[in-house]
Amino acid sequence: MGADAAFDALADPVRREILTLLAQRDECSAGELSEHINRVGRTAVSSHLRVLRTAGLITERRTGRFRYYSVDATGPAQEVIQLLQELFQGSLDATKAAAEQGAANDAGTGTAADGPVRRAM
Amino acid sequence: MSRLALTAEQHVDAPPEAVFALFGAGTGAGWVFDAVCDRVGVGAVVTLNAPMFGAASGPVEILGRISAVRSPSRIEIRHDQPWRGRLRVHIDPNGGGTRVRLIADLDDAGLHWLMRRRGFPVPDGPVAGTHPVGLLTSKSGSASVFASATENLAAMAVEEINADGGIDGRPMRLMVGDDATDPRLGTIEAWRLVHAGCRVIMASTTSATFSRAAHELRDSGVLMVQPVMNEGGLDGGLRVQLGERPEHQLRAAAAPMMQMAGGRRWFLAGNDYVWPRAVHTTARRVLADDGGTVVGENFAPLGTRDFAPLIESVLQSGADVVLSSFVGADLVHFERQCHAMGVRDRCRSLALALDEPTRERIGDDAAAGMWGVSGYFEQLPGPVNEAFLQRYRTTFGQFAPPVSSISESVYEAMHRYAAAVRRAGADHLGATARELRYSREDFPRGEAAVGQEPQRMFLAEATTGGFLVDLPR
Repeated sequence: MGADAAFDALADPVRREILTLLAQRDECSAGELSEHINRVGRTAVSSHLRVLRTAGLITERRTGRFRYYSVDATGPAQEVIQLLQELFQGSLDATKAAAEQGAANDAGTGTAADGPVRRAM
Repeated sequence: MSRLALTAEQHVDAPPEAVFALFGAGTGAGWVFDAVCDRVGVGAVVTLNAPMFGAASGPVEILGRISAVRSPSRIEIRHDQPWRGRLRVHIDPNGGGTRVRLIADLDDAGLHWLMRRRGFPVPDGPVAGTHPVGLLTSKSGSASVFASATENLAAMAVEEINADGGIDGRPMRLMVGDDATDPRLGTIEAWRLVHAGCRVIMASTTSATFSRAAHELRDSGVLMVQPVMNEGGLDGGLRVQLGERPEHQLRAAAAPMMQMAGGRRWFLAGNDYVWPRAVHTTARRVLADDGGTVVGENFAPLGTRDFAPLIESVLQSGADVVLSSFVGADLVHFERQCHAMGVRDRCRSLALALDEPTRERIGDDAAAGMWGVSGYFEQLPGPVNEAFLQRYRTTFGQFAPPVSSISESVYEAMHRYAAAVRRAGADHLGATARELRYSREDFPRGEAAVGQEPQRMFLAEATTGGFLVDLPR
């Protein structure tokens, strides 16, 4: 997939909103997406989905009369979006570990830990 | 502009206050919470070391400022490098613990930067009907510190030029390349700008990048301008070097520095590339003329973060003044470590590349006892500078990085270029280059300030929140 098509596809705010919704979920039907996007109607969402699919940013799966959409992890724009998302998630995972470790230490000693020392750069 | 909002979420079995306290504490709580800042308060500068492209390539420094804080639930950061954006940290009670959410805005410029850095081609869009001008700057790497406001001011100049009718009947279009403080990448980006249609490139980078790109693009027929302070030596034909020269900076600063230090022994320390080496060569001559002596000299490669051995040799040398020729993030780390190791108690420090964005990242405490010298500081009096600063703040807001000699020089160069083309015609790059060198206009730093004749230099002491500029009486 060319980056040109990806960027044309990303130029539209509704398409970006769709992509953000899909990035947060594994898979979504066109109907579910329409429920979350208020500024345009169902028909418009369908045509935006077609543009995103043509640009290679999302993939479509059909089951009977239903169509399900998910982000295409192989697209360049999607790759960097996913990279950032994982980067932020990884950062929060470390926050969780540090906070819970701190809470466990406090419980172990029975006293509140000293405030963290602010370090120099 | 439409933005993509990326979110990440995590539940933590600890109270919100405990989670909030981890921010900026440097306790290994993830790269976002390990933000480097002197305080968690509105206006404080902050650096996030994002491990963006794996451990091998080192972290990417996201440079910003805390724009909102509500303890213990909200922290908002506005960042300018490598792209402009906003990062929100939400810390809310959830059951017996805490729900932490990160919400990051990503706009086109951010996506483009990430894609290019990952090696994907990104279309620059059609340039037909416009007058494209390239800006080669440092969005990442050490120089991204002093380049913080550069793109903003280049964009402001373009707005003003276009409001004034553009160039040759067409609107000027700014196209930006990031050298990542790496001459090799800088040359690749310079070629990209040329292939996208730019016939002029303003290179607001280190001289390491400018000299290499200027050489490799020698047959491209492109006009290359270095607006920022530089060592000279390449000016001529389609290569124009504006900006302060070390000779003028040092002549203005050497004698007063020795007087303030109460001694004449100098230690020269800087990054290992062409500009710091030229600064030191010039310094040996200028200091000798003023009765100073050099008691030590040392270099460290761009990107160095541990300066302890070098600072030990400064302390052992018995120097009265340190001439610091580090730049950007290297200057920040060197000076913070000098402060921590007690250099300030013994020596005064003169840094030719000490400007407003670099000073605030060194921090008020660590920068006390430092002086900078250049042709522009924000505090310069006069209605032109006043109006300039007001337009900048109105356009980019209170949390945008401060302007400096380095970013102001790019603003000037864009205006000088537009004026030069209007006089010489768009088809005569050689004539445009000559006009650029000798144009006289009223700029924030004063009339005819950048160019062939020596600029007015100002010696400025780093103080809390800014500089105390020594104005001619």
